[in-house]
Amino acid sequence: MTLVVGVDIGNSTTEACVAEVDADGREISWLAGALGATSGVKGTTENVSGVADVVRRALAAAGRDPAELAVLLVNEATPVISGLAMDTITETIITESTMIGHNPRTPGGGGLGVGVTVALADLPGRDPAEPVICLVGAGADFDDAAVGINSAVAAGIQVTGAVVCADDANLIANRLHTPIPVVDEVSLIDRIPLGMLAAVEVARPGHTIRTLSNSYGIATVFGLDPDQTRMVAPVARALVGNRSAVVIRTPTGDITDRRIPAGRLTLIGATARRTVEISAGAEEIMAALRRVQPLADATGEAGTHVGGMLARVHDTMSDLTATPADAVRIQDVLAVDTVAPQPVTGALAGESALANAVALAAMVRTSRGPMELLAARLREALGLDVLIGGVEADMAVLGALTTPGTDRPIAILDLGGGSTDAAVAGHGDEVRSVHLAGAGDLVTRLIDAELGLGNVDLAEEIKKYPLAKAESFFHLRMEDGTVRFRTDPLPVDAFARVVVLADTGVHPIPTRHTIERIRQVRRAAKHRVFVVNARRALEMVSPGGNLRQLGFVVVLGGSALDFEIPDMISEAVAEFGIVCGTGNIRGREGPRNAVATGLVARHAATAHVARDPAPTAGV
Amino acid sequence: MTDNTTATERTLELTSRGPAAAGRRPDEVVIGLSPGFGDLFTKTIVDVPHAEVLRQLLAGVEEQGVHARVVRFPGSSDLAVIGHGAARLSGSGIGIGVLSRGTTMIHQKDLPKLSSLELFPQAPLMDLEVFRSVGRNAARYAKGESPEPVPSRNDYMARPRWQAKAALLHIRETGLVRPGAAPEELTALIRLAAAS
Repeated sequence: MTLVVGVDIGNSTTEACVAEVDADGREISWLAGALGATSGVKGTTENVSGVADVVRRALAAAGRDPAELAVLLVNEATPVISGLAMDTITETIITESTMIGHNPRTPGGGGLGVGVTVALADLPGRDPAEPVICLVGAGADFDDAAVGINSAVAAGIQVTGAVVCADDANLIANRLHTPIPVVDEVSLIDRIPLGMLAAVEVARPGHTIRTLSNSYGIATVFGLDPDQTRMVAPVARALVGNRSAVVIRTPTGDITDRRIPAGRLTLIGATARRTVEISAGAEEIMAALRRVQPLADATGEAGTHVGGMLARVHDTMSDLTATPADAVRIQDVLAVDTVAPQPVTGALAGESALANAVALAAMVRTSRGPMELLAARLREALGLDVLIGGVEADMAVLGALTTPGTDRPIAILDLGGGSTDAAVAGHGDEVRSVHLAGAGDLVTRLIDAELGLGNVDLAEEIKKYPLAKAESFFHLRMEDGTVRFRTDPLPVDAFARVVVLADTGVHPIPTRHTIERIRQVRRAAKHRVFVVNARRALEMVSPGGNLRQLGFVVVLGGSALDFEIPDMISEAVAEFGIVCGTGNIRGREGPRNAVATGLVARHAATAHVARDPAPTAGV
Repeated sequence: MTDNTTATERTLELTSRGPAAAGRRPDEVVIGLSPGFGDLFTKTIVDVPHAEVLRQLLAGVEEQGVHARVVRFPGSSDLAVIGHGAARLSGSGIGIGVLSRGTTMIHQKDLPKLSSLELFPQAPLMDLEVFRSVGRNAARYAKGESPEPVPSRNDYMARPRWQAKAALLHIRETGLVRPGAAPEELTALIRLAAAS
């Protein structure tokens, strides 16, 4: 009996598997597995401390003495690393204070008011024949404003609506004798031109505005001709869904949705080359990519956003791998459409609009890592025989086959942090594998950008754990609607907030987003990365691109531990009649430890062949 | 648009309506006052009139469409006791505690007394804008929303500069405490000063 340990050095985690192999290699008794963080970039000598730590813990878990260990097996790390970049491609611009389309939490009054804009101080002495909209500037007290409007109305002036700088709409509306719509929290109220025709609309509670979000409504209010109506159509569109709005008729005011010249992406394939506009969106980019497969490199137009994005990927990669930037070759890209909240240029109330953005993940093939050097260092550090054995994909397949209920032909889908890998093994020895850009890290970035968090750690938690709303200190309403009571109170900062139920505790999400919105963003991000990549990867490795030829699909890797990704993938491939599920390596490790286990299995099999070289037919 | 807020003086008249009972309305916030608030004292440590302090707290609550009650706690000059007491009398479980010198907290009935949802420990930094935000946030907690906490200010010089005055004010306020006295429901009347 010999004690062996297989070690898999991955992008983010290092895994070990300890087993005892009998003399002729026919019997393997699995003892224990362990998992730790990878130290440094995988495939480099920095990994030694991480490997030593994981091996020590695996042996401790197996209750064995390190002195008994005969052989340490490491995989040939796949020299692929991924990079990410994201940039917005649209922006909204309001020129000349045409409209205010924000959603203050508490607008006052209700209905629609149309009139000429007049400052509060100028109300007395206005012509009673002309309806007015009162502008209440910064620093004005709500009582004074209400008194001013009430006395103007008493003097016969038709005040039809009010626009307020502070958060005072309800306070003023509650003190008026005649109800009018009041829109508040307009921080840049000084930029509203005086003496212009304007309309103020506040919707009833639970409703959204009806007139100012309708082009013909604005046309009716301002008496516009067909040409002018065409001009205001974007204004109406921008106000759809708001609870309150102000539209001011200025001679040349306009609102536009401008596309930022994001530049062109050039995809260079083995035989073809295609150029695609980034602003065309993810679908076009991915279609162009399919036409040039296999990808040899990708470049962006210099001086544009995409040029910058790819330059960042190249720079990061060359830093990580210590290769010159022009030697870095992009082997795969995944483009994902996303949205990011951006401040509206020219807005009067700090409005923000969802700008379209494109996220690009890129996969880079590096020169072979210095594996021999790493093996030599490990030999020194641990004082035992170190063998480099097997291609990562082959080992993962062997490991996956230890999942109960699997058989060849088998496909594995390894969902990692940086990349999505797939491999297929038929009845023979040949294994086909691909490495695709885009995995867990991209999902985290999408969640961070779309929710406008600016906090990658929190985005990571939102990705990994379910949500709940803290309805009191003692009960949480889960995202599926069920309620969980607690005996110990929640932390103070979680009160009344949407929280993530992380392993380390209940963490509040400091945004105004509802639980439904956060959940939808999270699921959409996972779908756009993992489901898209799973199908792409399986199509590339399956014989003839036909998924129906695959018998079993085993989902592996860190992201396979996610609470919803495996289900999403199963659902997506269900139509092909494949058995698909999360791996359970050696019947107990779950989707982890496949490569480490495969290394031991291969070692045992080769030992067996070496001792028994001619297993002749008929034995 | 002229700024005329500081020019107008307002007066505060607090009249007792008897012992305060626990509220049943889920849409209310109780503002708990210390023994000397608007009584022996009329201004905070930095001379903000109590009439304006209470007016802004009430305005912050009203703007959110929530109802406010004002209750005096003659039995203690301890902010935690007043804030927690206010929360326990509140139908929503949310209360605000405020001391004469301006120290303020937002409390919730299920929290331990010495904890709080939001605490504003440095009275010299409390201006009308902050009091308005305190009222607003308390009302939003009462509605089950998740407000951003009011940005807490910190001035390293506040302690050395104001500690002596704060201690004197606290001693005077504590002198007004009638141990064991029950909280009183108040009617707050805020008016423009007669001759302006």
